[in-house]
Amino acid sequence: MSTYTDKIRETAQRLLKECKVEMVIGFRKGSQPMMNEPCVVRSPEEVDQLIWDSNCGINLANYLTNRKEKIGIVAKGCDSRNIVTHIVENKIAREQLVIIGVPCLGMIDKRKIAAAADGEILSVTEADGQVMVKTAQATQTFAKSDVLQGNCSVCTHRNPVIHDEMIAEPVPEQTDVDPYADVAEIDAMTPEQRHAFFEELLAPCIRCYACRNACPLCYCPTCFVDESKPQWVGKGQDPADVRTFHFLRAYHCAGRCTDCGACQRACPVGINMRLLTKKLNKDCLELYGWEAGLSTETRPALDDYQPNDPENFIH
Amino acid sequence: MSEWEPKIVSFLCNWCSYGAADLAGVSRMEYPPNIRVVRIPCTGRMSPKFALAALREGADAVWVSG
Amino acid sequence: MKNLLEHMGMEPDRLHFSWISSAESTKFVAVVNQITAKVKALGPNQRFVKKAAKVA
Repeated sequence: MSTYTDKIRETAQRLLKECKVEMVIGFRKGSQPMMNEPCVVRSPEEVDQLIWDSNCGINLANYLTNRKEKIGIVAKGCDSRNIVTHIVENKIAREQLVIIGVPCLGMIDKRKIAAAADGEILSVTEADGQVMVKTAQATQTFAKSDVLQGNCSVCTHRNPVIHDEMIAEPVPEQTDVDPYADVAEIDAMTPEQRHAFFEELLAPCIRCYACRNACPLCYCPTCFVDESKPQWVGKGQDPADVRTFHFLRAYHCAGRCTDCGACQRACPVGINMRLLTKKLNKDCLELYGWEAGLSTETRPALDDYQPNDPENFIH
Repeated sequence: MSEWEPKIVSFLCNWCSYGAADLAGVSRMEYPPNIRVVRIPCTGRMSPKFALAALREGADAVWVSG
Repeated sequence: MKNLLEHMGMEPDRLHFSWISSAESTKFVAVVNQITAKVKALGPNQRFVKKAAKVA
């Protein structure tokens, strides 16, 4: 992983020196373990801040919306798909970007580590597919595959789909995973069971909108939750309002979501709202053969009419 | 209240189903009084927000017709 | 839309889509009858309704 860091620094330095970009968006070490933060590097002297490890789960495409500068951006598989979505939706021009592609082996779920570790976590390091967690009491070792984020463990697009520079050889894609197993499980329930399931899933929601803010797709100038004339959704924690919010948030991501996991990662109470967006991803794949962010050439499924689009839901 | 009657909020396109509803009226056809019609300029005006708002405010069903 | 509502536990027959030309008043009447019958069979909607605000 440290070779990744070196190559990213090297590439960023070269791009900035040659004035190919005005800034590079990447990650730097956060003030707490497992909390790397996004950072913007504007001069070649600052590139030593940049790092790469398995705690870079934040989706950097979020910081591109409506930017005017020339930008170098560090992008793993899901980031690159969101960059494609941004380009397709005219939120940034392809010419503005130098995409530094990073083949990704998955990000660590900090909640899984926190749950498994005894006491306060002082540092987290990794080597050869092992994650070493140091706490005040002891040092514990986990296999990285056991502590991956849910979306990373079923990811089938680990390599960037679009890039100008590549900092390492592409990694093998996972082929033996079923990304939609958990959705299929819910599909098998009766309407009553599903209702109860989501009631319970969404019950802890405190309506902080962290999922919305972390999401690279959520860039509306005024979000529907902030509209007051008319007010589509109440602001409290009434179950109906929480439901409406999560429903519409997920629906706005239909055919656009790349399952990067930023929403779930950002949630302070750990709600797996990916179950909603994934359902829509699954439908898009099954009904329209569409996966978001794979090509800048084709129009998104919900943006385009094809004579053979399914219409069995219309009387 | 003797018997419960459902309220069905109907979003009808001005040019299609709203016209059909009008024609049904002119032709003196009978149909159940459970629908509450909202005329929209085109089905393209429809938004998922509308359907959810209707359900939130107590509609028993939503019908979108182009 | 319909699929996600159902995913979240709404009954399938609460949301209907149809396509009726302005000349098809007979189809209009038929569809209204059909939908009304289906919703009557379901009973009142409980799931996505916002309960009236309770006065503290």
